[in-house]
Amino acid sequence: MNSSLVLGSRREVGTVGLVAGMCGFYASTLLLSADLLSADASTNGGHGAAIGVILAAVAAVFVIVAVYVAAVVIVNAIDTVVAGRLRQIAMLRLLGAEACSLRGAVVRGATLVAAAGAMAGTVAGTIVGDLTRTVLVARGSLPHAAYAWFPGLAVPAALVITLAAAAASWVGSRTVLRATPAQALVGASMPAVEWRSVSPHRRLATTALIGLGGLVLMAAAALGERGGPGGFLLAALGAITSGTGILIGADRIVPALVTLVSRLLGSDPPSVMAARNAVREPGRTTRSTMGLVIGVTLVTTFAAGFAALRTAARSWDLTTAQAMQTDQILRNVSVIMTCVVVVSSAIAAVGFVSTMSLSVIQRKREIGLLRALGFTTRQVRAMITKESLALSATAVTFGMALGLGYGALGAQSLVGFETRGLVWGVPGTMLVGIVVCAVLLVLAASWAPSARAVAVTPVDALRAE
Amino acid sequence: MSSPESVLCFESVSKIYGAEAGAVRALQEVSVVVPRGGFTAVMGPSGSGKSTFMNLAAGLDDVSAGRVLVAGQPMHEMDDRERTLLRRELVGFVFQSFNLVPTLDVRENVLLPFELAGRRVTSEDREWTEHLLDVLGMADRLGHRPGELSGGQQQRVAIARALAPRPAVVLADEPTGNLDTRSSRQVLDLLRIAAQEYEQTIVMVSHDPVAASYAGRVLVLADGQLVGDHAAMPAQQIAELLIDFENGVA
Repeated sequence: MNSSLVLGSRREVGTVGLVAGMCGFYASTLLLSADLLSADASTNGGHGAAIGVILAAVAAVFVIVAVYVAAVVIVNAIDTVVAGRLRQIAMLRLLGAEACSLRGAVVRGATLVAAAGAMAGTVAGTIVGDLTRTVLVARGSLPHAAYAWFPGLAVPAALVITLAAAAASWVGSRTVLRATPAQALVGASMPAVEWRSVSPHRRLATTALIGLGGLVLMAAAALGERGGPGGFLLAALGAITSGTGILIGADRIVPALVTLVSRLLGSDPPSVMAARNAVREPGRTTRSTMGLVIGVTLVTTFAAGFAALRTAARSWDLTTAQAMQTDQILRNVSVIMTCVVVVSSAIAAVGFVSTMSLSVIQRKREIGLLRALGFTTRQVRAMITKESLALSATAVTFGMALGLGYGALGAQSLVGFETRGLVWGVPGTMLVGIVVCAVLLVLAASWAPSARAVAVTPVDALRAE
Repeated sequence: MSSPESVLCFESVSKIYGAEAGAVRALQEVSVVVPRGGFTAVMGPSGSGKSTFMNLAAGLDDVSAGRVLVAGQPMHEMDDRERTLLRRELVGFVFQSFNLVPTLDVRENVLLPFELAGRRVTSEDREWTEHLLDVLGMADRLGHRPGELSGGQQQRVAIARALAPRPAVVLADEPTGNLDTRSSRQVLDLLRIAAQEYEQTIVMVSHDPVAASYAGRVLVLADGQLVGDHAAMPAQQIAELLIDFENGVA
């Protein structure tokens, strides 16, 4: 079965290739940097090998987070593309295609695109990394050493990316099963999205994990205040536990938050429509928002953690020179960490833009109806922009709140005993930066789809299938 | 030519799609006046220009030549935004399918035209709307979303929405095209009652002779030209008329 029959043009699955490529690029540059640092350490007579293993492990953790976000984006991309082509799929079923072979075609097509993307990204990342290092060595910023030209671990990383994409497209293509042959006949309507009720076990798991994680975080903060060992590890454990709880319960938490935020949009027809559209496909909303939440939480956690450390350091008993040096080091490490974790946000942003634009394309008829009933082109644009605004504002607010909490508690668990009271810091510049990026994201996600939506006359839109 | 009592007035209206060699003349020099009140059916075989007629009357599309007046307002001189604002005030719609906004419930769909026009819903409006929904048998389904309604029920809600703001004209495009016989009859009865009892002007485009037999006036389009303007006729007679045209064309 030719996958383009189900998935449409390559452009529609371009998101899959793009995020896989971003992951490949990220993995290879990160692994090259880890290798560079350990080679550097060996040259200086340090324990290069041991440092290399630790750095590779840290890089692996960040790559896994990025791959997870990419997988969420791919589930959404496939789900959205397939949902928009249900009638075509129903037609193929009518002609005798089996649902599982259609689904197989989707998975094969998406996996191929992802594999190509991951490979291209890995090669590009390696080239960029090598070039940067060569320039730095030539300029004398880095010593001459036995640097690797290709990070060996990038191969398994690309494999992991491809496997994750395959699994994600399998999950995302569940929608194929919704199409039945009868729906290909004229006049038959597509079934509404089922509201899967959340199982009580899952609700329990969500509450338990968030509660437990919160308690562990509190314990870590208390331990940090008394200077006991292992406070930071405990905090990491608490953050992972509560984070898992939030991920498991995301399909309840996120739509509720989006609904809450949408109330602020207003009560005029475009705002009401935007609020409804933002949560009309709860699964899709959750996935496209959750990727951003993860990205923003990561960035804010590191920024807030380092801001808290810097605030704490200022209260310590240090000479002026020491204080300045400490502050400088903390700031530099903070910038580096932000650059390392910001990739997940970028991957999530790509997914957000693609989901938004595909959903608007799929609402062509509905927008035609609204135009016929008296929505002006400006109101249609406002409706789309506000939907995008509600979703990204929710993601950014939620992510920032989580990140500020995690960052402060992490810092407290690390150096609480050195400082009186809770270690706390607000990374003002970073928060402003995140908000600016969020505004740009809203514009990027809504400008093109709304321009396309109003370019079609209501007559053509109403006639569209 | 347009008396104050004319709700819809076409003066030598032409609509040409495409350019030069590939141009399609969807409407050619059509002139017709629809006075206030009454139920007019626009008939014709497929490709006769019915849909184009409807789209131009609604200001959903530009004319290529001629004048279109809706309640005395010159649609043909307006840009898209002005036409949209006029459409909100003066025109109600019933389409063949996909009439209702899927994310809004029945009550919200019916009140959407008021919201869009920025019109406060007066107690008189509310009484009228409730009366309509009651007559249409939808009063106990106000909180339902369109996905939870049958095709016939959706069409009745669409009629309530079209009638609720008392527009100058209700345009219905094949309103029974997707319905079974029983629901069709109900919908057509409703349109006739709205025209007779509430003096609502209704223009319905259809290719179904039975639907057209409910109207008080039957306009016939063929090849983009107005070829017939008749008083109420039984379905049998309309069908024969159409068959004659089809044969004439072939």
